[in-house]
Amino acid sequence: MKTWEFIVRRLLLLIPVIIGVTIITFTVSHVIPADPARAFAGGPKAQPDVIERITKELHLNEPIWIQYFYYLNDIVHFNLGKSYLESRPVVDSLAQYFPATLELTIFSMLIAIPLGIVGGIISAVRRNKLSDHITRIIAIVGYSLPIFWLALMLQYVFAYQIPILPLEGRLAIGMNAPSSITGLYVIDSIITGNLDTLASSLYHLILPAFTLGFATLALILRMTRSSMLEVMGMDYIRTGRAKGLSERTVIYKHALRNALIPTVTVTGLSFGSLLGGAVLTETIFNWPGMGRFAARAVLGFDFSAVMGFTILVAIIYVVANLIVDILYAVIDPRVKLGGG
Amino acid sequence: MKAGVLAIIICAMFMTIALSGCTQQQEEEKPEIKNPTTIVRYDIGDAKTLDPADCYDTASSEPIFSIYDTLVTYKGNDTLTFYPCLATDWTVSNDSLTWTFNLRNNVKFSNGNDFTAEDVKYSLDRVLTMGAPESGVDWILGQCMDTNSTTVIDDYTVQIKLTQSYGGFLALMPYTVAAIVDKDYVEANGGVVAGEENVWMKEHPMGTGPYILDHWTRATEIVLTRNPTYWGGWAGNHPERVVIKYADEAATRILALKNGDADFAYIPYANLEDVSGEKNIVVHPFDSYDVALLAINTKASNNQYLSDGRVRKALSYAFDYNTAIETAWNGYAARLAGAIPKGMPYYDTQNNGQPYYNYDLAMAEQLLDDAGYAKDYELDGTMYRFNGTTLRLFYNAGNSERETMAVMFRAALDDIGILSSIIAEGWPQLLHRMYTTDDWDTMFIGWGPDYNDPDDYIAPFMGSADISQDTYNTGYMNATVDAKILEGKYSADTAVRAAAYKAAYDIYIQEPSFIFLVQRAYIRPWRDWVQNYSYNPVREWYFYDYYKAYP
Repeated sequence: MKTWEFIVRRLLLLIPVIIGVTIITFTVSHVIPADPARAFAGGPKAQPDVIERITKELHLNEPIWIQYFYYLNDIVHFNLGKSYLESRPVVDSLAQYFPATLELTIFSMLIAIPLGIVGGIISAVRRNKLSDHITRIIAIVGYSLPIFWLALMLQYVFAYQIPILPLEGRLAIGMNAPSSITGLYVIDSIITGNLDTLASSLYHLILPAFTLGFATLALILRMTRSSMLEVMGMDYIRTGRAKGLSERTVIYKHALRNALIPTVTVTGLSFGSLLGGAVLTETIFNWPGMGRFAARAVLGFDFSAVMGFTILVAIIYVVANLIVDILYAVIDPRVKLGGG
Repeated sequence: MKAGVLAIIICAMFMTIALSGCTQQQEEEKPEIKNPTTIVRYDIGDAKTLDPADCYDTASSEPIFSIYDTLVTYKGNDTLTFYPCLATDWTVSNDSLTWTFNLRNNVKFSNGNDFTAEDVKYSLDRVLTMGAPESGVDWILGQCMDTNSTTVIDDYTVQIKLTQSYGGFLALMPYTVAAIVDKDYVEANGGVVAGEENVWMKEHPMGTGPYILDHWTRATEIVLTRNPTYWGGWAGNHPERVVIKYADEAATRILALKNGDADFAYIPYANLEDVSGEKNIVVHPFDSYDVALLAINTKASNNQYLSDGRVRKALSYAFDYNTAIETAWNGYAARLAGAIPKGMPYYDTQNNGQPYYNYDLAMAEQLLDDAGYAKDYELDGTMYRFNGTTLRLFYNAGNSERETMAVMFRAALDDIGILSSIIAEGWPQLLHRMYTTDDWDTMFIGWGPDYNDPDDYIAPFMGSADISQDTYNTGYMNATVDAKILEGKYSADTAVRAAAYKAAYDIYIQEPSFIFLVQRAYIRPWRDWVQNYSYNPVREWYFYDYYKAYP
């Protein structure tokens, strides 16, 4: 099977995945007897005409399977319904919040991937030495620390006791966002040449990106270390060394490449997971991303928003898995996409 | 060697933190004022709309109050006096039906257009024509106005002829729904379409108020800057900018207040101890109009005993109000005499402003015994009333104050021989239960003001469905109470209104369909560098009046 065929086939698999996700989320959110129309219209203060309009809009008077049909029809037309919490289309909300999460995820990965891989290599190469102990401690701490605790502590130390970093947000208080081109403030600031905004957005990324990246860093570090240790014991590594190859060449050219496969797997899945919304980090650092949006939607019983979010996350996971599979083939030529 | 360096760095970090704490304790001087010309407020929840014609939530009304003006307003913490705003003075006809407002001259909208009587008529008619499709808030004006009510007499005089006399009419005018928009501006941006929201106005407000919208980043912040053409002028101390930040996490808001990023912050009752006693932070409770009640379903399908007014009266004696204030509300609440909260006109018509019921289990038992509801049902060696029927206490999941009150109440009910259970459900589920079934017995609920008139509190709670009230579907109905409520509503004579509301209360309180639990305190801790702050439960946040300085 050719690469493009593999990609198309995997993308087509998105359709049953989305249908499955919508069936589950739609059923879960509609099966409990509830009065969403009145809730959206203002609860006890809701006016009858508004309740009636919302009931009609959401087809709440129809049987559930008819409601589902309408919902599916809307999705086909890229209409994910209306967020009653935000009083605007869910698509508009996701379009605003997804880039914020993407930016945070990219920067957290920029911290996690290089540090995790380098730390893992050092740890493996210098096994049972001081640097190995230190990196292992970092990994264990990173993996065990509750992310909300780390976030709160970082805020407390660096935004309150030693106030050198901003407490929350994507930009300084009251600062105008750059013109939205990609929605990623760093990129948009560069494109529009707005250095103040660029500096502010980078400054505001430090704490949340570190918080989010720390746990992933620990994961990558542990995975790289164990893979490297396994590979370093292989015969071909010994052969390389016997041939007189430099240690650098042995490690980076022969060992690392083979050790990267599991690391790529966890990195890809972590990337997908973070893109799905880091609820705690986004909430604590007041980062207006998908995680915070989803949390608010769930707490506010904003069913359309929850379902829209779930569909997007499903798509992200499928695409992230696809990219991981493609990367396998890039890293290891023995891997053939589609098993052909 | 490397481990040593690391140890030194870690030690240095901890010492820096410790020393910074010591230094802070030793410093006597006040910290430098952050953002000295900007007022920054941290809150939860985002605005839904900036169109006053469709605004029915607190978060939206806050910026609208600063961008738009109304004909009359309130000032400071005074809730009993109407002050001129876009109207300089007004008169009312003897039959209380015709109100004539003389308008302020030389007022401009922030786009430079002149403010005239045409804008007043257009604004009020717009609300009634649009019909507030998203919020339904038009009902407030619709109580006594239609599109024929407002007449332009001349450029600076407008007359409003009510469809029926309404004692609370003037109290409607300071509310956001009666804010004045620029006719030309709206017409150029979508105009008015019956039953449809104006998407442009939702995000592009423009009025005569002291501030204009700089930007609104959803779920992040609303930033307002000075309106250079503001008729009130900019002499004296006023903030250059106002930033309303939205932060969901309480810990973040607490730190923002502590480090000075925030001038004001919403801190939940349970977290107030984190900022109380802090240097440079003021924690001061005010009487809000937010009340907490227990609705009793007089037509409960599983509990016919609740239809008996004597049982409901006994339940009112079984609630430990003072302990609830101390435990559920951390002391930040007060007793509530009846439907009308303290501070609102006609509050004293309710038992002279004193709570009618106090916690008295002996009295509760006596009432139940006298009514013939003896303890004649045995369960696990304990005797219960009502043949063992369980009284269910519903509250919305996640509401910790209501949960605490439910637990307290359940214990008291057990003491007087009433079996009970506590059930937490999601808000939409509770609404379904309350409005489409009779499968609920009691429910903890809350209420906040729409406008500053007792009609907004008495009618929804004490009025019946026969007069389109009974907002919580309790099934309560007393024809005399209904008649008195309507008499108070449709009279502009304060003496008549007071007498009517007193008569309604005196009857209702003998067979109440609500237990009037508490009146919540309003607390938004602020930095002590903020000057001229005052709280008004009707209209919050007069940002124009505040400034930052040390006295």
